[in-house]
Amino acid sequence: MTGQAFFVLTALAGGPRHGYGIVGEVAELSQGRVKLKIGSLYGVLDRLAAEGLIEPDREEAHDGRLRRYYRLTRDGRRVLAAEAELRTATARVVRARLGLSGAEAAG
Amino acid sequence: MSGGPRLEQRYRRVLRLLPGYYRDRWEEDMVAAFLDSWLTGDPDEDACILEFCRPTWPEIASVVALAARLYLGGAGAPRRYFAWGQAVRRAVLAATLIQATRGLDILVRTGWSRGLLGWLPAPPAGIAPGTPGGMLPPAAWYLVAYAWIVCFVALALGRYRTAQVIAALAIVPDLARLLQEEFTSAFQGPSLGPWAFWVLVNLSPVLAMTAFHRDAPPAARRPWLLALPAGYLLVYVPVIVLQATGKSAWLPDFSGLYCVLAALACLAHAPRARSRQAAGSGVWSLALTLLAADAGAYRIASLTDYLNDPHLIQVSLVELLILVAAAALVTPDAARAQAATPATPSRPYPGYPGYPGYPG
Repeated sequence: MTGQAFFVLTALAGGPRHGYGIVGEVAELSQGRVKLKIGSLYGVLDRLAAEGLIEPDREEAHDGRLRRYYRLTRDGRRVLAAEAELRTATARVVRARLGLSGAEAAG
Repeated sequence: MSGGPRLEQRYRRVLRLLPGYYRDRWEEDMVAAFLDSWLTGDPDEDACILEFCRPTWPEIASVVALAARLYLGGAGAPRRYFAWGQAVRRAVLAATLIQATRGLDILVRTGWSRGLLGWLPAPPAGIAPGTPGGMLPPAAWYLVAYAWIVCFVALALGRYRTAQVIAALAIVPDLARLLQEEFTSAFQGPSLGPWAFWVLVNLSPVLAMTAFHRDAPPAARRPWLLALPAGYLLVYVPVIVLQATGKSAWLPDFSGLYCVLAALACLAHAPRARSRQAAGSGVWSLALTLLAADAGAYRIASLTDYLNDPHLIQVSLVELLILVAAAALVTPDAARAQAATPATPSRPYPGYPGYPGYPG
């Protein structure tokens, strides 16, 4: 899973969001390190929808335009949880190899 | 185009770069997201923004990149775009193979001329590879040639990002040399030929490597890797033999060699293309048509190198004629590329029209 897809799924794990809402949430989650362009976002959303990991939640009118919200599917939650486990395990190995304790890593 | 504020219309114009099937799914969402990224909630300020602001270049670039990935489709793309993606990927591999065999030739010549290949007979005169000169020393040009070998192997092994970076770096020295010669008026004749080489032989494959994205299926690794030594043995060993026996006059220039190789590939594929039975034949026909178009365009542009030599002009035109005749055998089959493409995994779109349970 790419970093962008991971962040998009994580953004949707907090609840349904519309396109630009996902961009903002990803920027916040990554502390500003990942700034998704709209073209890149919809490349990721298209792929995640095709894989059945996200689905439309609802549509809301906003300033005369319809905003479509997306949510995680059950498969999306499962895949995100597995990816988070993998990343956590990898981070644990990296910390151990660098001789970092949990406290040092946290600080 | 639907109405709406000017900024919205401008975004819709940019989104026309995307394939129709993709716009049907995502255009409204994308326009809403683009506008959301501008609007502040202040009615006066928003009215100004909607009237006068324009899509930014990074936004346009992200849409162009998305369009390139969609038109040169990978697994799961509609057949037509998958066929184009496969054809471009094969044409790029073939073009990079030509560069890589050339790099292998320079590697062998360098080693042989410096006595590093002791098991070979004494090197004949003139075996040392030539270089374009300019501000770089010969060793740097040799490295550029070797870089294409690494690039080709990386592509065949599925290391797309590595190949793209190496190829992008490998074309920079030649560009720098061309610019230097252009600004110092160092060209002996018209500069169209050298520029055509850079654009059609160097830059085109690098740009077309966009087709190697994460959805691109892996290339058939073994045949492509075997093609490198085979290509060297079949093309450059005879070249060395002709040079060693004093028959260099028979050798075509690089443009002529490119034409001949593309023509031979078309001729080799022609029986399959004409039988119209082999699965995937159409994609190969399309790939070879693209390669032949590139080779032909370079041959035409490089005619300017021989404006004072009618004999070489005639030879070049014969090479071009052979290429056109060979390409004509496969081009009709290229049209059925999308029908011949093996089915790709279907991509259901949960929650979209046509998907079971779509709310309506």
